[in-house]
Amino acid sequence: MTSPKPNSRITRMAVSAVLLAVLPALGTTAPAGNFPPIGPLPEKEAPSPNLVKMGQRLFFDVRVSGDGAISCATCHDPRQGFTRQTDKKGQPMALSDAYPGTRHFRNAPTLLNVAYKEDFADTGWGWDGHMGANLNDVVRDQITETMMMNTDMRLMHERMKQDPVYVQMCQENFNGECSSGRGRKALDAFMRTLTSSNTPFDTGMLSGEAQLGRILFEGKAGCIACHNGPYFSDGRPHNTGVPENLEIFRDPLRHIAYRAVITNHGVPKADIWRRDVGYFLVSKDYKDVGSFITPTLRETVYTAPYMHNGVLQTLEEVVEFYAAGGGHDDPLATELVPLDLNGSEQAQLVAFLRSLSSPTAPTAEKVSIPLEYEIIDNWLEVPN
Amino acid sequence: MKAQLQMPLSLVVTLATALFLASPASLATGDPDIDPPLAPLPPPPAPPDNPITQAKADLGMMLFFDPKLTGDASLSCGDCHDPKQGWGFNDPISRGYPGAVHWRNSQTVVNTAYLSKLFWQGNAKSLEAQAPIANKGAVAGNGEDDVMEARLRQTPYYIEKFREVFGTQQPNLGDAWMAVATFERTLSQQDTPLDRYLAGDLDALSEQAVMGKQLFEGKANCIECHNGSTLTDEKYYNLGVPRPFEWEEMGLNTVTFRWENYAKGVYEKHYRNWKDDAGLYFSSKRPVDVGKHRTAPLRYLVYTAPYMHAGQFYTLEEVIDFYNEGGGENEFTDGTHGLENKTPILKPLNLSDEEKEALVVFLEEISGDEIRMKLPEVPPYGVLPNVPGLTQIRAKRIGLESYLAAAGQQ
Repeated sequence: MTSPKPNSRITRMAVSAVLLAVLPALGTTAPAGNFPPIGPLPEKEAPSPNLVKMGQRLFFDVRVSGDGAISCATCHDPRQGFTRQTDKKGQPMALSDAYPGTRHFRNAPTLLNVAYKEDFADTGWGWDGHMGANLNDVVRDQITETMMMNTDMRLMHERMKQDPVYVQMCQENFNGECSSGRGRKALDAFMRTLTSSNTPFDTGMLSGEAQLGRILFEGKAGCIACHNGPYFSDGRPHNTGVPENLEIFRDPLRHIAYRAVITNHGVPKADIWRRDVGYFLVSKDYKDVGSFITPTLRETVYTAPYMHNGVLQTLEEVVEFYAAGGGHDDPLATELVPLDLNGSEQAQLVAFLRSLSSPTAPTAEKVSIPLEYEIIDNWLEVPN
Repeated sequence: MKAQLQMPLSLVVTLATALFLASPASLATGDPDIDPPLAPLPPPPAPPDNPITQAKADLGMMLFFDPKLTGDASLSCGDCHDPKQGWGFNDPISRGYPGAVHWRNSQTVVNTAYLSKLFWQGNAKSLEAQAPIANKGAVAGNGEDDVMEARLRQTPYYIEKFREVFGTQQPNLGDAWMAVATFERTLSQQDTPLDRYLAGDLDALSEQAVMGKQLFEGKANCIECHNGSTLTDEKYYNLGVPRPFEWEEMGLNTVTFRWENYAKGVYEKHYRNWKDDAGLYFSSKRPVDVGKHRTAPLRYLVYTAPYMHAGQFYTLEEVIDFYNEGGGENEFTDGTHGLENKTPILKPLNLSDEEKEALVVFLEEISGDEIRMKLPEVPPYGVLPNVPGLTQIRAKRIGLESYLAAAGQQ
């Protein structure tokens, strides 16, 4: 695992977070500490277009899932900001779908700008940090995870080898035969292309209201304490007291998924909990119960609803939530205090948040894939 | 016969050895062993740690037909071992998991209580071991332990029944396999015409079937491998059964064929070059075992077509013809890979049409009555454990009680 930034930064930030919790109460109007500055996303090396094409095909290919029922795009729908916001009937969903036979207990995070998560590799990915810390690792986790794609990697390998299109793509990109590893590299390449483009923030075209919002963001509202750097996330777990989404415990398919995941990760009393334990799943430190990894704030215009469990529907609600000092997690400690923001200040923050989204929704063209596997001519004569 | 079965094993072995030494001429040429005679089925045995009880069998029946114990909860044991299809699956190759297909023929569950080697590869040594292998295999059930167990724990019926049967607070997945195995043990059939005939009721088999039995035990030499009360010696042979056409001609099957070789772990040169099922080799990794499969039991046969490890033959007539010709050849018998693994037991039999027909009639008559069953309605999930009037404040605290107490908070 590579960590591009020294761990001392984390310690410093932890201290800052504590200070942040205290200082506003003393009337201070800006968060203390030197947070990685917000700014345009740095240029990254563009992946090979040919590899991207292969990854894009895999992204829409239901044969990547164990029973051939879902693709990556099912829960990271390009028409829904690469998240899952509505069910098959178009009704809003706070919580994502999952592998058939289960339903998920979290909101599907967007894949937009996902390549930039690697810049804070100190913590694992996912809302609770339980997955790997680079894109390729996480793709592997998602493909094999029971709740996600539930696929044996070797089966994915053999499925790719049976599809002449992938066979040709692997030949072109890797000068060799298909493998699940090469499939993951291709998916990785495709997802690196899912980036913000020409957001008002990045192009310096902020409205006056958004500019005021930025000042609040970096100052009085203290958002920058966690939402910092070009990706607008510190990649660390925090407890903001988000209310529980009790739907998880009313819907047996979601409850099953939740219990199975926390059992699998060694959380005690898996059937007792009526809350999402969050980062506790990784740390097993009770102080981390209810902490979730800071999400990016880019492209939020397209990724409602918000929070790890989708309980907040609009950016206005989110800002209101923080203005009130977040939620309650009595008797566990949350890190927020009331912000004393008036209505127009809240509107300014919302305007700034909107400026972090692309003018038009980033999307990706769906690739149609035949479901039947072709036969291999002269199969008996050619090596497997 | 019955008396001999009840003798201590050592005495049976001694007697068998004595018989072998005394009359080697009774063995067919190339005959490697003594063949236990056909015998009636005794009551089903059960392992000491999993005795058969009615309550456990009832629970096992429910689990057998409940799709909760697979990956996407869309198929149950009973989908590939369907009571209406001889408790097997009547396609040559079993349907397998959605989005995939299996690579071998699904065998009947009936009378498996007596087997010590399950699957065509014999790689499960008990029904308790067989069930999770089937339910977890990527082209079979594709289930995962924690999800399957969570589903049981989300089902009020199972919470109650597991508590009754196993005395546990919550259903444990391991106990589910115990219950399924127990149910399967109850699917045994001890009252077939063969059992009655062997017990002395000479009218139990038709005249033609009796002729078939004599051929079975004599000229046709079926008894060489299909012997004892189960009609299998549970040993492994390569008969030269031809490669199933599906791997070459159906892309989905080709995928599974390669996956099996990859997942079961063979040298790359074998992965690249083999186009047929290496059978026992996957377990033993011995070249002499390539292409061998465990002798199939012949009871309940008429309901379990098609036949052979990948359903290569649709009818018993085809099967008899195959043996009459002395078996066949495949790439593991004909030297393609430097292997000549065909069993020397098989030789052309020179059976007349009348003799072949008598053999078929014998096999049909010994199949007994079909075991049909009304499928149970599987139990629904519940909201569990239910916390009435759950509030945000309660939800936040539940699970933290011991931590808070230790921290001096209430």
